[in-house]
Amino acid sequence: MTAGRFWDRFLLPGGVWLLLLFAVPCVLVLALSFGYVDDLGRAVYATDLDNYSAAFDPTYTPVLFRSVLYALTTTALCLLIGYPVAYYIARYGGRYRNVLIALLVLPFFVNYLVRTYAWVALLADEGLVNNALIDIGVINDPIRMINTPWAVIGGLTYGYLIFMILPVYGSLERLDRSVIEAGKDLYGTPLQTFLHVTLPQTKQGILAGAVLVFLPSVGDFVAAQLLGGPDTYMVGNLIQDQFFAANNWPFGAALTVVMMIFLSVWMVAYLRSAARDVRGAAI
Amino acid sequence: MSPSAFDKPRFLRVFSFLVYLFLFVPILVVILFSFNTIKSLNVFHGWSLQWYQEFLDDPSLRESLFASLEIAFATMVVSTVIGTALAIGLVRSRAGWAPGANILMLVPLVVPEIVTGISALLIFSQIGIALSIWTVIIAHITFSISYVTIVVRARMAAISQEVEEAAMDLGATRWQSVRLVLVPALWPSVVAAALLVFAFSFDDFVLSFFTTGEDLQPLPVRIWSAIRFGLSPTINAIGTLMMVVSLTAIAIAVVLPRLFGRRESGLKVLTAGEG
Amino acid sequence: MAGAGLAVASYGLAGCTVERSVDRSAEGRIIKPEIDGDLLIYNWAQYMDPDIKKRFSEKYGVEVNEVNFDNLEAMVIKLRSGASYDLIWPSTEYVYRLNREGLLARFDRGLLRNNDNISSFYDSPWWDPNNELGVPYTYYTTGIAWREDEVSGMTGSWNDLLNPDGAGRMFILDDFQEAIGEANLINGFDLNTEDPAELETAKQTLLAQKENARGFSTNSVQNLVSGSAVLHQAWNGDIVNVRNQVDEPELYRYETCKEGVPVGTDLMSIPITARSPGTAMLFIDWILEPENAAQNVAWNGYPQPCEGGKQEFAKLVKDEPSIDVDLESLAGGGMEYRLDNPDARQLWTSIFTEVKAG
Repeated sequence: MTAGRFWDRFLLPGGVWLLLLFAVPCVLVLALSFGYVDDLGRAVYATDLDNYSAAFDPTYTPVLFRSVLYALTTTALCLLIGYPVAYYIARYGGRYRNVLIALLVLPFFVNYLVRTYAWVALLADEGLVNNALIDIGVINDPIRMINTPWAVIGGLTYGYLIFMILPVYGSLERLDRSVIEAGKDLYGTPLQTFLHVTLPQTKQGILAGAVLVFLPSVGDFVAAQLLGGPDTYMVGNLIQDQFFAANNWPFGAALTVVMMIFLSVWMVAYLRSAARDVRGAAI
Repeated sequence: MSPSAFDKPRFLRVFSFLVYLFLFVPILVVILFSFNTIKSLNVFHGWSLQWYQEFLDDPSLRESLFASLEIAFATMVVSTVIGTALAIGLVRSRAGWAPGANILMLVPLVVPEIVTGISALLIFSQIGIALSIWTVIIAHITFSISYVTIVVRARMAAISQEVEEAAMDLGATRWQSVRLVLVPALWPSVVAAALLVFAFSFDDFVLSFFTTGEDLQPLPVRIWSAIRFGLSPTINAIGTLMMVVSLTAIAIAVVLPRLFGRRESGLKVLTAGEG
Repeated sequence: MAGAGLAVASYGLAGCTVERSVDRSAEGRIIKPEIDGDLLIYNWAQYMDPDIKKRFSEKYGVEVNEVNFDNLEAMVIKLRSGASYDLIWPSTEYVYRLNREGLLARFDRGLLRNNDNISSFYDSPWWDPNNELGVPYTYYTTGIAWREDEVSGMTGSWNDLLNPDGAGRMFILDDFQEAIGEANLINGFDLNTEDPAELETAKQTLLAQKENARGFSTNSVQNLVSGSAVLHQAWNGDIVNVRNQVDEPELYRYETCKEGVPVGTDLMSIPITARSPGTAMLFIDWILEPENAAQNVAWNGYPQPCEGGKQEFAKLVKDEPSIDVDLESLAGGGMEYRLDNPDARQLWTSIFTEVKAG
């Protein structure tokens, strides 16, 4: 058995699984996007293009851009907040590293929805934070914190932060400390060392984190539904509403296809970069 | 913040502490309201254990909780194995169809969960599989494989083949070199991915909603359904109990290895003991 | 290649519906109220006192399991995929739709011991001319809730949603029929108008209201109790729950509006796929027992149109009688949401989507 063939086997279980249980069902969604809703409200497969002409209605363009903007801001915030934490755990966590990582996962055992509800109790106009601020005399009138775009971005950051910390931690953790020491000798200042040694070495982790935060954020509907205001409607809400409230599955499917095509730009960028790094590492 | 601060642990320690605080403040609120005397998650009236009593009295809630734990555990085991193998294969294989597998792995990440859920429902109904706990698990695994692969590959990409080749020079077979050299090198990212998947699966509601059978309702589906009338503090009581259990597991994971005088990672014990 | 696969899939599937076909072999069977197995009920969450299930379970020695939906469309999806629930809670419109799809079992209401307790308002309604598809569980009005200490000058009109005291702290229900319906009434249109020109006017009304709004939400209880809302389009039963949770209930007021009061009814129905339809019918009878109805109303805050339920609700809301529903008066002036025409329904939902997206 050649070395090449040996490694091919590792691809098989995942490849076959995803082909049968993901790719084939996705073709069904694509097929459904050309369908229509019958008189009883049931989705029927067909070959119409009507859903696509509706999906490109200018009303929906701002929704898509808003979602991308929120998701990009969320990704940036997660990186700014998550990188230092991952760095601290990887470098200074010592034998508590794994405990610190486990603590990050702990909030998941209290449902996302329940935690988001708790934010409402904290940040509402007569919530715990506003009441406390008024009691100690910092403010006279409550600050409007929830039902704003920032509340949605905050909710997304809260929900997806761990998806940034974990991969960054993974790449930092395997970083050879002697490389950093050598970098210090070479570049002198910690800033230069960080920029020239640590950061490039963890680029894959950052990229993985960015993808894991950005893409689900674009499609999220929980944060906007629970923390959003009148102008925070996201594409996830749009699609969700088609499938449930509006009972228009074919249109929901068409919107999904449009969103996926739109997002594939980011995917291609990520793919290229991933491929480059794999080649770089192999040399 | 300036990156120079990265070499000042004190700043980092304070910063990290604040981030952990950010993650846990809502949890404290959840715990507080689980002891409320009235059915409100906004106004705290006084201390009582009635919501814990209600949880204990409600067999369908208990069933939901255990179903969620089973689903999360099965999803974690299967998707971690498949996803890790896929990550290894994607980095090492030079097969002509490897790039195709790569794209196939990445697409689930761009597809919103609701579509994965609906497409799973479509395929199950087209081939006539009755919905049950197994269909939920299959859908969760399908969605989780890519996450595992992404996380593990981030580490895999920078591991050189030299050590494995050295092991083989010393007489190890290819499989042995994978088991003894590659897997241990990948282990931290594998554990991170497994934890991530467990947590994701336990927390997920969209996939579960579409793929669950008629009489089994995973906990998050039940919680989501309660939105219209507002959540009951019973859900907070469950969350609090789950926190206590997980914290105990972590504490045991820290203490146990010391008792046995081993320096093994506490997390290994934890992940083996979960579910 | 993907394109070819897609083309094949599209043509191969064209004309097929998404759902599997439902087993209708039980059609036409006679259902009697007697135990024929454990019960699986599919209901809104937090809509029934668990104690009522528990006592039924103890009395008859059967298990009562409950699963929940958050949305009627979700319930329909599950029913169409062949799921076997014994008892479901559709609204009037959905009873009509599910029946047209042949998804509901018929049963003789006369066999119920408490048949005479059901309000006569529900004899032969449009969705069930022969009284065989369901029994009313709750009924509710849509109106406006407000905080007396924050908002003044309420006039009993849907235009109160624009009250400047509520600016930035007003919510519209996140429900396409309630939102557009209220805008139709303001403009003097029929509640269920299908006229595109009228609906365009209603859309402009909603967009203007959105300027004054804090958001679209059905969770009026949390929005009002947490202080984020001081003005809220709301269902009457939710205001009972708000008043149960706050320190000063008298501040939380509710009005119905002179342009029209939408009224809804949720029913208990037995799906065609039910495994224990007899137990389900017995359970319906159990809910209709006056003392059980009273207990349930006190628990969930919504009135039940039967003896015991009506009286208990009147007691609950004696301090704010506007929350109560006078069924007899609804016979003339009350109105219900009803969109049978799928094209009209699609127009309504897309208008609401455009309002939320814009």
